[in-house]
Amino acid sequence: MKDDFEPTIIGFLCRWCSYAGADLAGTSRLQYPPSMLPIRVMCSSRVDPVFIITAFLRGADAVLVAGCHPGDCHYIEGNYYTRRRFACLRKIFETLGMESDRIRLSWISASEGPRFAQVVTDYTDKIKKLGPNPAKKEIFL
Amino acid sequence: MKGAILKIENSIEKTIIEFLKKGLDKKLFDALLIPVKVPAGDSYAWVLVQDKALLEDANPLPPVMSVQGAKALSSITRRGKSNKKIAAIMRPCEIRASIELSKLQQIDLENICLVSIDCPGALPLKDYLEDTKKGIDTFKKVIKEWGNESVRPICQMCDKSVGLSIQSDLHIGILGAKNNEIYLIPSSQKGKSILEEIGIPAEESTDNWEKKTKEFVETRKKNRKKAQSTLSEKVMGLDNLLETFSNCINCHNCQSVCPICYCRQCYFESEKMKLSSDDYLIRAESKGILRFLPDTLLFHIGRMTHMSLSCVGCGACEDACPMSIKVAQIFSMVGDKSQKVFNYTPGKSIEEQLPLKVYEEDEFHEVEKP
Repeated sequence: MKDDFEPTIIGFLCRWCSYAGADLAGTSRLQYPPSMLPIRVMCSSRVDPVFIITAFLRGADAVLVAGCHPGDCHYIEGNYYTRRRFACLRKIFETLGMESDRIRLSWISASEGPRFAQVVTDYTDKIKKLGPNPAKKEIFL
Repeated sequence: MKGAILKIENSIEKTIIEFLKKGLDKKLFDALLIPVKVPAGDSYAWVLVQDKALLEDANPLPPVMSVQGAKALSSITRRGKSNKKIAAIMRPCEIRASIELSKLQQIDLENICLVSIDCPGALPLKDYLEDTKKGIDTFKKVIKEWGNESVRPICQMCDKSVGLSIQSDLHIGILGAKNNEIYLIPSSQKGKSILEEIGIPAEESTDNWEKKTKEFVETRKKNRKKAQSTLSEKVMGLDNLLETFSNCINCHNCQSVCPICYCRQCYFESEKMKLSSDDYLIRAESKGILRFLPDTLLFHIGRMTHMSLSCVGCGACEDACPMSIKVAQIFSMVGDKSQKVFNYTPGKSIEEQLPLKVYEEDEFHEVEKP
């Protein structure tokens, strides 16, 4: 049964690095699962934790936030703030007993097309093992 | 730590009021911000008062916390500093919220003298309003006993309501004072000079107060740990969370009374949350059913991500919840955990930066996935 399950991963990709990395993966014709729905944001720090929770509670099987490597942010320091917020959100997930494996933060640069494909492949495999998001079936959400 | 000692005359409240009157006389402050009994006599409201004669009904430690003091202070100074000196007499959680709000640029503490007082807790607003006479009697017992279980559950597990950790200018110690006395302990230059001007310099030893408050904090810490582990079992996991918040009627009272939730426009009340019918229909179709009003859990967890780092656990949200959801207990538990990530204690010090305003280049690598 679980083999049929194709996860939906919402990806918040920063406009300068990770989105360009995704583009490069595409133009380089790299193969990776079609599970990720990319959303382009100007900076990974634009992602309010509420966006991630919204996606999660509405039944996304996982949420990926990707930005420039630390030190390479187009806005100098945006991704450092992203990392702090993400650390806080992860803790909240853990405290409330929600699956923190369903949220992920990765750094992918504009030149890392193969890395982008690898991240999506690995994460999709992991979520496949984890199964569908239980929030999908919750009625009184 | 040195402090001044005041002999109690009539009652603790009256003694404190007399002391404050002296401060007004000597022009050490031009006005007081203090809870005063409302004309109907059944509750308390914050009042900015200059006239000594109007202080008769004032109470520095009322049985309930009807409006969070930091909210009152913020409405005075959020557009800039006060041009007159104001002494604000507040509970420790209100002091902590004020410090957080000053970091968030919603309170200007220049010309404000924060006066805190050892707090045994506050009664649940609902219980108190049901029978105010009984409430007043119960609260008398609460002040006497220190550890009485009629105070709000969030107060029973509060470990920051007494002692040296409170960052006010002047602290009034009422716990562990001997022979009908109370302590005045200055914790800043402002507080020190006020005591000197009034003619009671801080020269007496406060060892007894320090010892007693330390013991009290220890008991409270134990209470907190115990209460939180029971609570965590009840709310952990999506199913339990849904059950806990299933009564929520989406009134947003918890948000509107929260001192930390200062945003003029809350995301959860913005146009962003008003979706088209198609959006709901699609969701209903994929699940087969959709509850209305929707997104209550999103509201609560979302609010946690927005304010839990500054949550002082004052319990205003729980008092305001018409459905008796344990909002404050859950939020302060989540707050404790998320604050620990950054080793941050809200309201502990004005110099300590808000965790999301600063960063280090080399940190939190455990949350980045290669």
